[in-house]
Amino acid sequence: MKDFVLIFRGVNDDPSNQLSPQQMQDIMTNWQNWMGGIAAQNKLVSGGYRLGDEISTLKPGNVVTDGPYAEIKEMLSGLIVVKADSLAEAKEIAKGCPILMINGSVEVRSVIVMN
Amino acid sequence: MKDFVLLFRNAGEPMNTLSPQQMQNLMTDWQNWMGGIAAQDKLSNSGYRLSTEGNTLKANNVTTDGPFAEIKEILTGVAIIKAETLEEANELAKGCPILKVGGSVEVRGVIVMNMDYNK
Repeated sequence: MKDFVLIFRGVNDDPSNQLSPQQMQDIMTNWQNWMGGIAAQNKLVSGGYRLGDEISTLKPGNVVTDGPYAEIKEMLSGLIVVKADSLAEAKEIAKGCPILMINGSVEVRSVIVMN
Repeated sequence: MKDFVLLFRNAGEPMNTLSPQQMQNLMTDWQNWMGGIAAQDKLSNSGYRLSTEGNTLKANNVTTDGPFAEIKEILTGVAIIKAETLEEANELAKGCPILKVGGSVEVRGVIVMNMDYNK
């Protein structure tokens, strides 16, 4: 089993801002169910981090800007780490991610082990 | 102290064009930088260095090979540090060696979640 990092991106004009409390609750439940399912298979390495709106980006030459790395349509909203035997298996796990239901994306990346 | 996630980005694999000596120097720079943060007890998680093996999944069952392409750069790694404020996290991030080789560091605050996935 190897570690794979799942990286979540959502659209910048976060549709969750316009959701009713009930819809918000449903989304949270979907996430809990999906991540709980991965944990139940003992494949959740880290529950990871949901990223907030405190953001800076540093570039060479001492340049510091407010806001995320790129003002493209999508920005990084969080990450978790899972265990799988192969990239294909990690991809199967990622397919259940609720962000895919609201037009977000999941990037699945293998890890270079450092000593 | 709160956690801040540092996201490292660079264009492709610049390591491939470096000599073994340059490579070694770069690794030493990273070790010194992260060691310095750890020495201040501000390294929450040394994180993950990401390989270029990857897939990106989008809505409607669309899967593409390779990392998510953000303009010209891709995500090359993550680390988690502790700081009182975003400004302090920025100060710690400023020493990151990736900034010497044309890369960038995105510093992000974390939304604390109270979910127990092990139930």
